[in-house]
Amino acid sequence: MTPETGSKLFDIAYPLFQRISNDDFEYVYRGYFTHNITKKILFLADTNIAKVTYQSTLQKRIYYIMVEGLQNIARHQEEVASLNTEKYPGIFAIQKNGEKYYVSTGNIVANNKIKDLQEKLDTINSLNQEDLKKFHREILAAGSISDKGGAGLGLIEMSRKSGNKLLYNFEKLDDEYTYFYLQTLIPTDKNFGVADGNGDTLKSHSTLESVKQLHKQMNEENLLLYFNGFFNQENLLSLLAIIKGRMNMPLTTIKVSNVMVEMLQNIIKHGSKAENTSAGVSGVFFMGQTNKDIILTSGNIIKNESKATITERLEFVNGMPKDELSDYYDDILLDFDTADAKKTGLGFSDLRIKSDKPLKYMFMNMNDTDQFYILQTAVTIKN
Amino acid sequence: MEKFILEETEDTPEITLDPEQNIFKISKISVPENALDFYKPVLEWIKQYAEQPNAQTVFEFDLEYVNTASSKQVIQVILLLQKVAEKSDVKVKWYYESIDEDMKALGNRYKKLVNVPFELIEIE
Repeated sequence: MTPETGSKLFDIAYPLFQRISNDDFEYVYRGYFTHNITKKILFLADTNIAKVTYQSTLQKRIYYIMVEGLQNIARHQEEVASLNTEKYPGIFAIQKNGEKYYVSTGNIVANNKIKDLQEKLDTINSLNQEDLKKFHREILAAGSISDKGGAGLGLIEMSRKSGNKLLYNFEKLDDEYTYFYLQTLIPTDKNFGVADGNGDTLKSHSTLESVKQLHKQMNEENLLLYFNGFFNQENLLSLLAIIKGRMNMPLTTIKVSNVMVEMLQNIIKHGSKAENTSAGVSGVFFMGQTNKDIILTSGNIIKNESKATITERLEFVNGMPKDELSDYYDDILLDFDTADAKKTGLGFSDLRIKSDKPLKYMFMNMNDTDQFYILQTAVTIKN
Repeated sequence: MEKFILEETEDTPEITLDPEQNIFKISKISVPENALDFYKPVLEWIKQYAEQPNAQTVFEFDLEYVNTASSKQVIQVILLLQKVAEKSDVKVKWYYESIDEDMKALGNRYKKLVNVPFELIEIE
C-alpha cells in the first residue's frame, strides 16, 4: 500500500525519535538488497559503531554478524522471484541499546522452507559453544553444503560469534510466503558467553517484536530508509551512497541526493548536540515513497531560541515567488560580508528551489529549553 | 608558480591547479562542513596566479555534488577568474551529468552572475 501524501510521515517523526534514548541508535534499511547496498550498509553501521565503542573485538564481532545477516537475506532473496521481494520487502536493522548491539533481519521465505529452517535454528540453539564448534566442523567435513550455504553455516557462525541463542520468528503473509525474522544479540566483552535474553524489557526498541512492528510500520508508510541516532558528516556520506544504490530511477535519485545533502547538513549545523556524546547531533531521518513523490523527513532537537529564526527563514523562503527566490539566492551567493552560508538561509532557499515545493515544518515543545524540529521536503518522481 | 594539487576525499573535491601543464580543474564531490576553510588556500592560489597567468586559462568544474556552503566558495573562485582574465584568455567549462538538472541550474546561475566566457557541457 502506498500512502497518498506525506502528512502521516510528519506525525511519526517524534514517536520514532523517542523510540531510543540519547546515546543509542538504530538504522534500518527496507527494500531490495543488492551487493552494492549491502556494502554501504556495512560501512555506515561500522562507522557508527566505531564512534561509540572502543572495543575493537566487539566492533569486529558486530561487523561479522552483520555480514552473515546480510548474506542471509541475499541468499533467501535469490530463492524467491523478485516480484515477491518487491511485494514483501525485506529489512535489515542494527540497533544499539545501552551496551548491547542487535542485528535483526526480516525477509520472505517460501512456506515450505519453514520447517527445515526452524529445525536448523532449534538445533543450533540447543548446542553450547563447544558443541557448535564440533557441529560446524562436522558440516564442513561432510561437504554437504550447497553453494548457498544451505547447511546453515552462516547461522552457526552468528550464534558462535555472538555467544548467544538466535531469536527467530515467522509471520505468515499468504499461501506461499512468510516473513522470517532473525535477531542476534551481540554482548560487550564483559558479558560475552553469559546467557542473556534478547531485547531486555518489553518496551525496549530492540526486542524482536519491536523490530517486527517497525518493519510493519515501514511497510505501511512505505519507508525505504530510517535512521535514528547521530548525525555527522560520515553518516551523511554513507546515506548518500546507500540512496545512490537504492533506487532504479536515476533522475529522481540525483535530485533526492542533492536535497538530502542540504537537509542533513542543516541538522548537523543547527541541531543541538546530545549530552555525553561527541558522535554528532541526535536526530531522526527517514525517506518514504508515495506514488508521486519521495518524501524526506528529518527531526532533531533545537534550542528554544532558535525556533523564531528558523520559522522566519522558512516562512520567508516559502512565501517568495519562484523567480524572486532565485534572485534572492543570487544575492546571497554574492554577499561576501556574510561569508558563512549558515547565517543567510541559503540552505533553505536551496531546498525550496531544488524540491520545487514549499518546505513543511513543525515544532514540538519538549521541555523548558528544547524543541523538536521536524522538516520535510519532497521530490517528485521522474523517470 | 608552484602547482596546487589536492587529492579528493570523501567530502572534498580533487583539485588540480597546474600552470605548467595548463590544467585547472575542480572535480568530484564538494560537500565539506567547513567550505570556507577548505577553499581559502584555493582562492589564495588563484589570487597569486592572477598576477602572472598563462596566456590561456581553461578552468574546468566537473562536480558531482556541491553543497550550498561550497557553492558560495565556488562563485568566489569564478569571480577571481575575472581577475585572471585581465591578463589571460580565460574560459570556464562547467560539466554536468545530463540527468542532474540541479548541477545544470547551478552552472547557469554562475554563468549569469559572472563576466567570463562560461560554457556548460552536458555529459552522459
